[in-house]
Amino acid sequence: MSPANGHFAAYSFVDRIVAFDVGTSARGTYAIPAHVEAFSAALVAEAVGQLAAWVAMDAIDFRGRPVAALATETRFLSSVAPGQTLDLAVDILACDDEAVAYNGRASVDGVPVIELVDCLGPMLPVAEFDAPDALRARLALLRGEGAAPGRFGGVDALRVDVAHHVPGTLLRATLDVPADAPFFSDHFPRRPVFPATLLLDTQMRLASALVREAGVAVYGTGPAPSPSRATHVKMRSFIGPSQRLALEAGLAFPGDGVVRAMLSAKTDDRLVATARLEFPARPAAPR
Amino acid sequence: MAEIPVTQDEIMAVYPKAAETMADALGCDVEDIKPDVSLIEGLDAESIDFLDMVFRLERAFKVKIPRGKIVENARGDLPEAEFEQGGVVTEKGLVQLREYLSEVAPERFKTPMKVADIPRLFTPTTFCKLVVRAQKEAAAAA
Repeated sequence: MSPANGHFAAYSFVDRIVAFDVGTSARGTYAIPAHVEAFSAALVAEAVGQLAAWVAMDAIDFRGRPVAALATETRFLSSVAPGQTLDLAVDILACDDEAVAYNGRASVDGVPVIELVDCLGPMLPVAEFDAPDALRARLALLRGEGAAPGRFGGVDALRVDVAHHVPGTLLRATLDVPADAPFFSDHFPRRPVFPATLLLDTQMRLASALVREAGVAVYGTGPAPSPSRATHVKMRSFIGPSQRLALEAGLAFPGDGVVRAMLSAKTDDRLVATARLEFPARPAAPR
Repeated sequence: MAEIPVTQDEIMAVYPKAAETMADALGCDVEDIKPDVSLIEGLDAESIDFLDMVFRLERAFKVKIPRGKIVENARGDLPEAEFEQGGVVTEKGLVQLREYLSEVAPERFKTPMKVADIPRLFTPTTFCKLVVRAQKEAAAAA
């Protein structure tokens, strides 16, 4: 891990805000540290969501902040690599003390990386999660000279134990959320919440492994297949440190050129998160 | 604010599209969306689902529905202090609530009723009424 842990470092993905239209839109940048091993699509989505959160918090004078979220549709357009700089943009569709709705996107050197469509974040009292004055000061910094890059030290791989596996069809596993991790000091300082994007990242890995096994798509021996789209991403409640999550990924083959993965996460039999992923079902290459 | 009356015909006019929208938000089949099913007890909806449904209904019907204020709207003209005391709906409040949520079967109004439990009464019809009221408000403002 990099020593750069803590508030506005361990899980913060906006370095500078280069355009800011109050309550309406923003553009920003984030330099993915060259020293991290990888930067997943879920973290790119997190970066876009964080830019939207800055606009939303400012719009309601830091009374609330979006926590947990739902994303109607996320399009994964290309992958990113450490050392690259993300250009982030958000358009706020609606924002009040109850919720923020937004669209967002990220690109690298003009190449689209991700698009988030119709995202919604319930606004919760900001003081429960962070110091409003610290957030105000941070936004001023981001809108001014910007934050020093390279703060993120990566996230240690989360341990997943497979409980039930039907190759190519179904996978059930447990994920023990760590009791302590650097990202908790940033997400959030006053109340640690397991980031939904880390959960989604873990679920995406499980689904990718299933799709590879399913054999309906020819992915060769290269990297695991990547989803083209996520829909119905919904966090229903907070996940805290030390919680045990029961994850499930099941594949469906609707025959419309995609393989669909239905994802869920439960804790104590209570559904806490759901999502659907689509993977392209590529035709077999001629031998 | 005086309550805007909503007829059964008006509800039925928006119901098919609203049911489809709610099913999409809840990730269930549209056949599971019955007009009088409790969204929480029957379809496992949670507060974020209500937010999602309102957001989707707004976009589907091109109306503006006040998010998170359904309970406030249910209060109508009744001052908050008369509607609830210590988090429990008063007798007067219950009368108002029964009128506002006229689509909900009478036996589902328990006494005492906590304000926090009001969302348990909500049904797909409740949300259809929100859409119709929003349409009427938009038409009146135009």
